[in-house]
Amino acid sequence: MALTYSSQRLAYPYFVVALLLFALQIVVGIWLALSYAVTMPQGLVDILPFSTTRAIHTNLLVLWLLLGFMGTTYFMIPEETEREIYSPVLGYLQLVLLVGVGVVALAGFVFGWTKGKPLLEIPFPLDYLVVVGALIFLFNVGMTILQARRWTVVQGSLFGGLVFLAVMYLFNLPFYSNLSIDWYYWWWVIHLWVEGAWELIAAALTAWILIKITNVPRETVEKWLYVELGLFLFTGIAGTGHHYYWLGAPKYWLWVGGIFSALEPVPILLMVWDAWHYIRNRRDGFKGRLVFTLAVGMSILHFVGAGFWGFLHTLPQINYYTHGSQVTVAHGHIAFFGAYVLLNLMFFYYAIPKLKGLTEFDERRGTLAFWFMSVAMVLMTLAFSVAGVLQTYIERVMGLGYMTAQAQMRFWFATLVVLGSAFLVGVVLTVVDLLTLRPAPARENR
Amino acid sequence: MSWNTARWIFYLGTFISLVLFLGLTVDTHRQIQALTNAERLSSEVIAGKKVWQKYNCNDCHTILGFGSYYGPDMTKVYWRRGAEGIKAVIRTPEKFTTWRKMPRLPLTDTELDQMVSFLQWTGDIDTHDWPPQDQKFRPATGRAVTLGVSPGALLFQEKGCFACHRVYETGGQLGPELTHVGSRLSYEAIEKVLTDPRSVSPLGTMPPTPLSHEERDALAAFLAKMK
Repeated sequence: MALTYSSQRLAYPYFVVALLLFALQIVVGIWLALSYAVTMPQGLVDILPFSTTRAIHTNLLVLWLLLGFMGTTYFMIPEETEREIYSPVLGYLQLVLLVGVGVVALAGFVFGWTKGKPLLEIPFPLDYLVVVGALIFLFNVGMTILQARRWTVVQGSLFGGLVFLAVMYLFNLPFYSNLSIDWYYWWWVIHLWVEGAWELIAAALTAWILIKITNVPRETVEKWLYVELGLFLFTGIAGTGHHYYWLGAPKYWLWVGGIFSALEPVPILLMVWDAWHYIRNRRDGFKGRLVFTLAVGMSILHFVGAGFWGFLHTLPQINYYTHGSQVTVAHGHIAFFGAYVLLNLMFFYYAIPKLKGLTEFDERRGTLAFWFMSVAMVLMTLAFSVAGVLQTYIERVMGLGYMTAQAQMRFWFATLVVLGSAFLVGVVLTVVDLLTLRPAPARENR
Repeated sequence: MSWNTARWIFYLGTFISLVLFLGLTVDTHRQIQALTNAERLSSEVIAGKKVWQKYNCNDCHTILGFGSYYGPDMTKVYWRRGAEGIKAVIRTPEKFTTWRKMPRLPLTDTELDQMVSFLQWTGDIDTHDWPPQDQKFRPATGRAVTLGVSPGALLFQEKGCFACHRVYETGGQLGPELTHVGSRLSYEAIEKVLTDPRSVSPLGTMPPTPLSHEERDALAAFLAKMK
C-alpha cells in the first residue's frame, strides 16, 4: 500500500532518530537513578557530576519529542493539505542541522560548555542554530499550507502550536540579571510549552489520528477540538501563575495561578471523553488494535499524569511544602510519558506501517512493550511520590535537614533503579519493534 | 453544541486569559523591583549569577525551588551557612558530604566572592516565606540583642554556626544546642572543637571552622560565657 504523497517519506528518518534518542535518554535515566541510590566516588563525580548527566537526560527528552513532532507534522501535513511538502530537501537539511546541534550540545555538556539554566542548558551559539532549524521547519510547513488553500482546524491547531512553541523559545535567549525575572520568563518557555503550545500540537495530532482510525466525521472532531483548545488556553495561560508563588512576585499570583491551574485538568478530561466517545462510535475500516490501545492509554495517562498528579500539588497551600521536591519529579515523569511520549508512539505505530507499505503488522511485541512501559512508569510514579511525600514531611514540615530526609528516601531510589530498568526493557522492545515491523501472521480461516 | 459556541469558547477563553496574564505581567514588573530589592542588584551580584550559571549549579540544586533535586535548595543558603560557610563548602565539598558527593569545582577566589554576593542577594528576595524549612534561619537582627553584640556573637552568626546549632531557640538541629554550652565545656575544650571537631567527636559530621587565631579566641570566649 503506497503512501498517498511521496514526500511523506521525509517523516521516516525523523522517527528513527527520535526512537534511538529515546532509548539513549532512558539509559542515562538509569544512571541518574543509580546516582541517587548508591554513592558515586568523588573522583567520578568530579569529572561527570549529576548535573551533567541530568542535562543529557532532559535534553535528549526534548530533542527526541520535538523531532517526533516534526516527523509527525511532515507525515500528516501532505494528507491535510492534499499536496506534497514544499521542499523535502529543506526537510532533510533541517534534520541534519538539528541532530548535529543536539550531538554537539550533549558532548559540550560533558566538557562543561553550558548556559547553566535547567532544561535550557544549550549554549547561546547553538541556541541560534536551533532557531534557524525551527525557522526552516516553519517555513517549509507554512509554505505547504499557504499554497494548499485547504484550511482545516486540525492544521490551525498544529501550525498554531508549532509557531507558539517557536516564539516562546525566544524568551530563553536573553541573559536576565534579576534571578526572579529570569525564572518568570523561563516559565514562558517551559510552562507555555508543555501546558500550552505542546497541548495544541497534541490535540491536533490526536484529532487527526482519531479521524483516521474511527472514521468519525471531521466536522464533529474539529468542533470539539475548538472547545479543547479554548479550555487549554483559558486555563493554561493564566495558569502559568502556579509557578509564580514563591519566586518574589506579587501575592495575587497565588490566587490567579491557583484557580486557573486547578482547572487545567478539565480540557484533558475532555480529551479522554472525546477519544472514548469516538472510539465507541467508530465505523469499521481501520485494521489493527494497537493504535487504539495507544490512543486510549495515552489519553488516560495524559489525564492521570498531567491533570491529576499536577492538580495534587498545584494549590499554594500544598505547593508551599512540596515545591521543588520529588513530588515534582513524580508529576514530571508521568505527565511527559502520558501526554507526549505515548502521543508520539501512537502516531509512529500509525505512520510507520504505512511508510513501510504494511496494511497489517504483527502487534504482539508492540502491545507487550506498551504494557511494560506503562505499568513500569505508573509504578515509578508511585515510588517517586512516596519519596516526595517523605521529603515534604521530613525536610519541609519537620525541618530535619536535606540529607536526613534523603536518607529516608533512599530505599525508594533503589526501587526506581529496578523499575527504571523494567521501563527500559519496554522502551528497547518498542524501538526494536517499530524499526523491524513484520507483517501480521497468516490466519487459518479467511 | 453548535460550531459558533465552540468557536466562541476558543476565542473568548484565549482572549480573557491572555489579557489577564499580560496585564498582571506588567504589574509584576512594577512590583518585582521592590520585592527583589533590585536596588541592591550590583555588578558583583550579577557576576555571581554568571558564576552560578557557568558551573551549572542549578542542575544539582534548586534555587527558589526550581532546578534539579540532587542537593539542597540554595535560596536561603546565606542564612544557613553565611559567607565563609558557603565558600568552605564549595572549596572542599568532600568535608561536608557523606553518602552523596558534590564535585570539586575550580572556582577562583573572585568567583567565590561573587557567588556569595549573588546568594546573599537571593536570600533577601521576598518569597512569601519560602522555603518553610529555612525560615528558622531568618537573620536574627532583632534578636542580636539577645546574643549580645560581642565580636564572638557576630562571628557565631557570620560563620554559619546557626546552620547546625540552636541558641535561644534559633537555628538548626543537626548539632547540640549551645545555649548553655559554657557550663558543659571549658574554654580550651571549645577551642579544640572549633579547630578539630573530629578529635573530640570522631563520629560527628561537624566540619572544622575556618578561623584566624583572634577569631577563634573571640568565638570561644563568647561560647564559654553561654552558661
